[in-house]
Amino acid sequence: MPDLKLLHGTRIVATPVALDKAVWSQDVLALRIAPDEVFVTPAISAAFVDDQHAIVAPDAGFAGAWIVSDEALDFLERSCEWELPRERPAFAQGAVAGLPVKLWLEDDRVLFLVPAAYATDLEERMA
Amino acid sequence: MADHKSSRVIVDGNPIEFSAGDNALVVMLRAGIHPTGGGCLCLAGDCPHCLATVDGVSYVRTCQVAARPGMVIKRHPSDAPPPLPLDHWSGPDTIARHIYCDVVVIGMGESGRAATAEAQRNGKHVITLDAGAGQEVIGVYPGPLVVARTREGMVHVYPREGIVVATGAAEIHPVAPGNHLAGIVTARAATHLSDAGINLGRVVAVGMPPEGIAVEQADGELLRFDGVDRVEAVVMCNENGSERKIECDTVSIGLGLCPRDALLRMSNGLAVRVVGDAARTSDIPSCPKAGTVCHCAGVTMDDLESVRERGFHELELVKRATLAGTGTCQGSVCLPYIRSFLADRGESLQPPFTARPVTRQLTVGEVAASSYHQATPRTALDGEHRRLGAQMERAGGWWRPWSYGDTVGEYWAVRKGVSIGDVSTLGKMLVSGPGALELLERLYPTKVATLKPGRSRYVLMLNERGYVLDDGLICRDDKTRFTLTFTSGGSSFAELWVRDWAESWRLDVRLLNQTMSLGAINVTGPFAHELLARAGVGDPPQYLHHRTATVAGILCRVFRLSFTGEVSYELHHSVADSVTLWRRLLRLGADLGIKPHGVEALLMLRLEKGHIVVGQDTDFDSTPRRINHEWAVKLDKPDFVGRRAILRTDKAPLDRQLAGLEMEGPAPAEGALIWKGSDYVGFVTSSAFSPVLGKAVMLGWLKLLEGELPAEVTIVGRPARRVPTPFYDSEGSRARS
Repeated sequence: MPDLKLLHGTRIVATPVALDKAVWSQDVLALRIAPDEVFVTPAISAAFVDDQHAIVAPDAGFAGAWIVSDEALDFLERSCEWELPRERPAFAQGAVAGLPVKLWLEDDRVLFLVPAAYATDLEERMA
Repeated sequence: MADHKSSRVIVDGNPIEFSAGDNALVVMLRAGIHPTGGGCLCLAGDCPHCLATVDGVSYVRTCQVAARPGMVIKRHPSDAPPPLPLDHWSGPDTIARHIYCDVVVIGMGESGRAATAEAQRNGKHVITLDAGAGQEVIGVYPGPLVVARTREGMVHVYPREGIVVATGAAEIHPVAPGNHLAGIVTARAATHLSDAGINLGRVVAVGMPPEGIAVEQADGELLRFDGVDRVEAVVMCNENGSERKIECDTVSIGLGLCPRDALLRMSNGLAVRVVGDAARTSDIPSCPKAGTVCHCAGVTMDDLESVRERGFHELELVKRATLAGTGTCQGSVCLPYIRSFLADRGESLQPPFTARPVTRQLTVGEVAASSYHQATPRTALDGEHRRLGAQMERAGGWWRPWSYGDTVGEYWAVRKGVSIGDVSTLGKMLVSGPGALELLERLYPTKVATLKPGRSRYVLMLNERGYVLDDGLICRDDKTRFTLTFTSGGSSFAELWVRDWAESWRLDVRLLNQTMSLGAINVTGPFAHELLARAGVGDPPQYLHHRTATVAGILCRVFRLSFTGEVSYELHHSVADSVTLWRRLLRLGADLGIKPHGVEALLMLRLEKGHIVVGQDTDFDSTPRRINHEWAVKLDKPDFVGRRAILRTDKAPLDRQLAGLEMEGPAPAEGALIWKGSDYVGFVTSSAFSPVLGKAVMLGWLKLLEGELPAEVTIVGRPARRVPTPFYDSEGSRARS
């Protein structure tokens, strides 16, 4: 059973144009979870987004765990009724094991993110 | 064939040895056991005559199952369906794998292999499914989606470009009196059994003879099979009309082929290509004079004649009238004969009937493989509640502590001391941007512009018909930024509602749903001030104000409000800090008698204050006037969602209204009917015995009688009175103190 941990990050809501132009540091993972929203982890102290009305909020609402690719893809083959992107790295999100999951797929590992409120359920379903 | 007797299966309680390579049917036949007592066997998975219960699963085609050591086979009762399993299934869950490809090829005979090779030459990613390898396709669905049962579980294949059906052809079975006897096999089955080392005895061939077996050919028209349980002779009609009886031990049937095209016939409109024998035209046997046509549903030639005489001349209607073709084999045996029958009776040769998934019997576990029940989210304090012994319930779409075991004690902690409650489930949304004020002005029936930064206001959310969708707070953070709260159960819809309108009005706003990112703890009771002071907040916000503060070392947004009727502060904070904050508050309030309160106590407390719960006390058509919330609607605003409908409906006389009710004795159940004499006048929506008032208090819908709400009514046979709300602290001085 994976041990999902709260993932500290920053959620940024801004205009899609501003987010398209934003450049993120090499040491953070910036996941574009909606046209107007990015989740950056680990948390960043300031967001250089060209939108004076942007919402920049610290966030620990996701729980996550890195899983090695073979194990992750085996689980996803059983629990994901949509086709995963083939390129790597890639971001994908949708229902996995009946839960709202976000995936960051790298060559040798996959980050599973789920709202912390569903972390227990995802752990049980991945066990 | 290997002749090494290595293992045993159990058939009806008796151990039977089997050889490597045997399927379960061959094992039984070698031991002289016919799984269903009789009927023509095909050994190809087409007929219903080898069904049995295998390892607890009924309707298994034993010819398609490899024998395994310890396999338990039970024959179905001859006169009833197999019994449902009584034991709780404790085996592993059946899984389903989801596989994506360009082309899926079903069947790996010669034509299937050719189709696979062709697709691969064209650079396609091909998935093959072959029943011979234990991959039984049970259905083709829109998507397209091909579902197969395999030895490892279910497989769901999603082909991007097409489906190739290469499932071959089934042998046509005999229809004649006596076709229920044992000892009748198709020609291919005869060869298969002979190869497996089974002594078939004296074999007579009807039609095409089997390969590799010495047989006596029976010429002429098949009339009947003679025998008691097992065939002893086959009777043929010669060209001159005379009968010829040929004694035998086994009859081999070679009456032609019909395509195994059920997957094609269920794939209307999908990109399905049929190749090989599956694409052939069906042989149509001559129309029999008598005998069972459909063994699954017990349909005879007489039955076909009967329904035809009643006017059923279309193949699809004959199927529905007789149920022939709807059973285990899905028409594999009967379809050629029904077509033949109708053609013989003067109808044109009609195309095969539509097929529908599933082609094979499935277990519930296989149908539900890798499907999941809807998960109920848990707050960050879920573990704390369980550790404290809370009875957890699903409420408002979340797991919530219903009670910690002493609901009345929890209630009194709020009324007389201090208590904390987990309200993390409330919807929370940030709205920012130059269009934020306009969005909220147009969305809500309150005057948002008059709300100063740092202030909060209770609001109703209405739909275009002026009906109440949700309620909550608007909290103004600064000129262009607001925090909205919604009910726990309504927050998902409310978020969509806000987003849809923002987009429809093309307003320049940013929206962030923080429901699952922020925890919220309600500190409530006369000693709430004291507890906050101990937690480092000596100057908490005033009633309906909010500000940021560090509470017990945790950064919070502190909202002063009240749902319980006592002084209350909602502490919104990162879910990462919920457990720490919760524990520190409990520790700081220990000598104040602090107790956490559950939802049950909270519902009692709010009811005493007459606060509604949207969805419980409201209906789909509850207007502010019907729920006595006209004060929350400012009709002198230029416009808001629902305004025009309210202006229109306000002109109509009020027909019913939510009202406060009280009665002596225990509280009636929520939903109890309300009577005026013998007339039904409404029902109770919320009900609780009020510890502080010593009587039952309720909210309920009442019809107006002659323009007035009835003052005295009867509920569960007891008198009740209509009274104004709030029931408790009607001036609201306690919450504001």
